Amino acid sequence: MKISNRRIIFWLLWIGISAQLFSVSFAKAADKENCLMCHKYRSNARIDETGKKRNFHVNEKLYNRSVHRNISCRDCHTYITKIPHDPVTQKVNCANQCHIRPPFAQEKFSHKKIIDLYNESAHGVKPDDPQVLKDALPNCKFCHLNPLYTKISEKRVAYKETLARCYNCHPESGVIMAYKHITHRLRKRTSRSSRKIVKLCTKCHGDNVLMKKLNVSKKALRAVDTYNRSVHGKLVRLGSQKAANCINCHASSALHDINKRDNKKATINKDNIMQVCRQCHKNADQMFINIAVHPEAVHSGNPIIKLVSISLGLGMYGSVLALVGLLLLETLGRRKDGARLLLKRGTIWYGKQKSKSPKNK
Amino acid sequence: MATTFETALKPFPLPAETEDEGYYTYVEEVGFIPRDIFKYVASDPMGDLQRFSTHIVIQHTLFFISFLVLASTGLPIYFSDVFWAPYVISFYGGIDIARLIHKIGAITMVITSMYHLLTIMGGTAIKIFRKEFDLKRTQIPRLKDLYDLIHDIKYFIGLEPYRPKMEKFMYKQKFHYIAVTYGTFVLTAAGSALLFPDIAAKLLPQTIGKILPPSMVGAQSFAAFFQDLARLMHADEAILALIVLAFWHWINVHFVPGRFPLQWAFLTGKITREHQIEEHFLEYLNNLKEIPEEREYMTRLLKEKGLGPLEEKPSKQKKCTLSDFPRIN
Repeated sequence: MKISNRRIIFWLLWIGISAQLFSVSFAKAADKENCLMCHKYRSNARIDETGKKRNFHVNEKLYNRSVHRNISCRDCHTYITKIPHDPVTQKVNCANQCHIRPPFAQEKFSHKKIIDLYNESAHGVKPDDPQVLKDALPNCKFCHLNPLYTKISEKRVAYKETLARCYNCHPESGVIMAYKHITHRLRKRTSRSSRKIVKLCTKCHGDNVLMKKLNVSKKALRAVDTYNRSVHGKLVRLGSQKAANCINCHASSALHDINKRDNKKATINKDNIMQVCRQCHKNADQMFINIAVHPEAVHSGNPIIKLVSISLGLGMYGSVLALVGLLLLETLGRRKDGARLLLKRGTIWYGKQKSKSPKNK
Repeated sequence: MATTFETALKPFPLPAETEDEGYYTYVEEVGFIPRDIFKYVASDPMGDLQRFSTHIVIQHTLFFISFLVLASTGLPIYFSDVFWAPYVISFYGGIDIARLIHKIGAITMVITSMYHLLTIMGGTAIKIFRKEFDLKRTQIPRLKDLYDLIHDIKYFIGLEPYRPKMEKFMYKQKFHYIAVTYGTFVLTAAGSALLFPDIAAKLLPQTIGKILPPSMVGAQSFAAFFQDLARLMHADEAILALIVLAFWHWINVHFVPGRFPLQWAFLTGKITREHQIEEHFLEYLNNLKEIPEEREYMTRLLKEKGLGPLEEKPSKQKKCTLSDFPRIN
């Protein structure tokens, strides 16, 4: 029996597609205690006592791609002791130690260090804060949502070749995780673009109603507007990765130590700000730090600047109107005298003159 | 001179008011040139008489290309919140590339300005050396330009019969030249302060502190003040320049009667004969002195109706007007 070409192509395609399909194997989540037995169902939801709709469904595919995929549920949800568990009243504490021990470390992994730093910063909740402020201050999850940690496609240079050397000593799974984690941060300054960082900070700091409720200073109230007016803001808005975003100036490399300017630890404190500027402007000195990074609108600043702005505006409209007026007058006058639009047969003064000039009365 | 003027008028029985001194201009070897001769000459649209040297044509081309590139990369950064800004930036290949292109354009513009300065200074030096230098043929403004402007406005509204006799550069060209010079200086100074804020903050307070008393300008705030000024001036001056360019210069040069659809002078460096006589009459007289062919052409044109050099007396009462002139090519 003769096999037609079409059939061969069909089978080859079929084999190719199926190979593609089955070769993709998702990393299995560390669900040792089988929590997904219940939580995999989409209808796993209820309306609670306050009338709020709550959904307890865990999307396995999404979770398997998140950074926390290798951590079992009860590492974070420590208050669960039995199955089926009681209604959850506590919130997850990110400072918990989880059961993963990073390579070359004696202790189990924990976010405690950065959380301590964060709690000391302007965003940390202090015991003597008013209740309005306590409600408004962002917690870990406010910024670090899982969707932001989804895999970012990036160009890898000699990825497999480099990894192959690591396998000589280290187990495969751990190396891949560590490698991905570190190299990703090395290639991009942060996992978020500058524009996303500004967007995130603007979520609260651009909300003037909320900011007024918290009694922030006048400068802080306008911080987002003035930043967007600055050249840093403009470049970031257009997608620049080089221009300074919020945390480039307001935090050190720890990123969480954002403090008010009168705090000595703050990067924007008078004593430290020169170092911040020198990250990009190498020759920054005592004079340079006086330059407004959050420039006010022209009309609310220096009176000389205001005067220059007004006179420039007047000059602009005045000269443009005067010049265009003169242009129209000239065109009309020359048209009346007989000048034509196009140069034809060597002249523009052909045909009948529209009106006689005073000469030819 | 006065007697020849009288005799020249004889064959032309023109209305009394035209017998003002300015209507006829006597040029040796050519004859009496009427002010409205430009209506009867033949012109090549590509230009007849040299106006700009090749250097100026190159400088103009470099300058306007760099200006357009600078404006199209700078404006979307200044107006970063309007809808079209990201599209323009993505056309240039992202904000970092657009900034690089802006800097390259700025360097081109500065080099062109230097080249221009060198050209005009060298040219002036050569002219002074050859004793050909004439202040009236330069861009330097004179009081006559103001009178010319008033005269011209009078002509446009019908109070004067003819346009003023103007030099190589008329009042609006001088104004525009000064505006461009000032604008380039301001944009370069402010742009350098924006590009190197740290150096500007270091140098300027030191320099200014020596000139001005410290009480007048706060030494601490001067760097900040100058940066604010640079931010303001760089943007405002650029927008002003762009508006003047788009709404005045282009229309004035290419879209007014007689120049539509394109005045080739910016590429060929030559001006049409009728344009030269109409707007730059005094420069045309210089052309007649310097170019023998032009002198020949004008003599032939005038001889047709007996306005040439008066060797013999013209016949009595020869009734004709200028519109009877044939066009000589």
